[in-house]
Amino acid sequence: MSNQGVTVHHGEEINNSTGVSNKKLLMWVFLGSDVMFFGTFIGTFMAYRNKSLNGPYPADTLDIPITSISTFVLLMSSLGIVLALHYLKESKMGLAKFWLFLVIIMGMIFIGFQVYEFSHFAHIGMTPQANLFGSTFFTLTSLHGAHVSIGILWLIFLLYNEYKGNLTSENAVDLEMAGLYWHFVDIVWIVIFALLYLITAGDGVPPGGLPWTAGH
Amino acid sequence: MSILKDLFHYDGNGWWRIPKTSEAQANPVYEHPFGKFIGVFKGFLSYITSGKGHATPTYYWVIAMILGIITLIEVWWFGVEGLRYLLVPSMLFFSIVKFILVVAFFMHLRFDHKLYSTVFVTCMVIGVIMFSLFLLLSAFHGLGN
Repeated sequence: MSNQGVTVHHGEEINNSTGVSNKKLLMWVFLGSDVMFFGTFIGTFMAYRNKSLNGPYPADTLDIPITSISTFVLLMSSLGIVLALHYLKESKMGLAKFWLFLVIIMGMIFIGFQVYEFSHFAHIGMTPQANLFGSTFFTLTSLHGAHVSIGILWLIFLLYNEYKGNLTSENAVDLEMAGLYWHFVDIVWIVIFALLYLITAGDGVPPGGLPWTAGH
Repeated sequence: MSILKDLFHYDGNGWWRIPKTSEAQANPVYEHPFGKFIGVFKGFLSYITSGKGHATPTYYWVIAMILGIITLIEVWWFGVEGLRYLLVPSMLFFSIVKFILVVAFFMHLRFDHKLYSTVFVTCMVIGVIMFSLFLLLSAFHGLGN
């Protein structure tokens, strides 16, 4: 079989008419579909904003300082994964492992904050059944949390492979895939933090009563 | 007053008055009062990308610092009562800036093949259109009743 037209980019053969890595293209297509997936849930949350018939309302529940810390941790984990990838490509295995390990820890810290937040909400009566705010909030943040958890498992698998010597600069594209996924999780949280937390946190009892039933 | 001079005078003309050139002549370099800053910024970008368009760890640290600072500004903005009326547009603006920074630099779209950007941006546009239509629908017709 002829090798004509085959190029190797970070360990992956590119032998198609597009000239790009199939793995990366597939990941971008997946991320594109996930954008629409999260867009739907964020849209639902915003459409139902200020339409809860009863409390607890966002002003009674959301804790911005705590969420700011977890947001910062997730942002820094994005830095960690690009550094891990950078050092892996340069075959600096010690640094690559260190940063990958740190990203996993930061991901776990983020999930820890979310578990704390959810249990605190449940304690004060804010559950998915409580009202529209609860339903839409928990659906969206849980889905995001599930994405982060899957990302952590993926990174643990890669770190294990790195220790076993199976992940090297030759197949750095495998870490690049996980990195793209991790950054995506990060950008989704950037939007969630702005829309669900910062913009919504001041919402109490809807002004003028209950707009959902007003005028009907 | 150097700033005023930069703003209103450039070689004896206002900086916005770009001289006309004939078809044969090359367009003059666009000069403006921010030229110096853009030059410094370009130099900095060149330094942190080793001048090859490939990011270095310094580059990533700089982007991360910018992201952290924007997050701090967001939280500060949220806490200032007098700025509440601008909360929605400002938060949207900040999150868009952070979004672009992560996608362009951490996810390497700025350096990668254009096909990846095309795929992602197309899906983004569809997503945003759906999101906007959904909000418009809920605003004009209500949902769930």
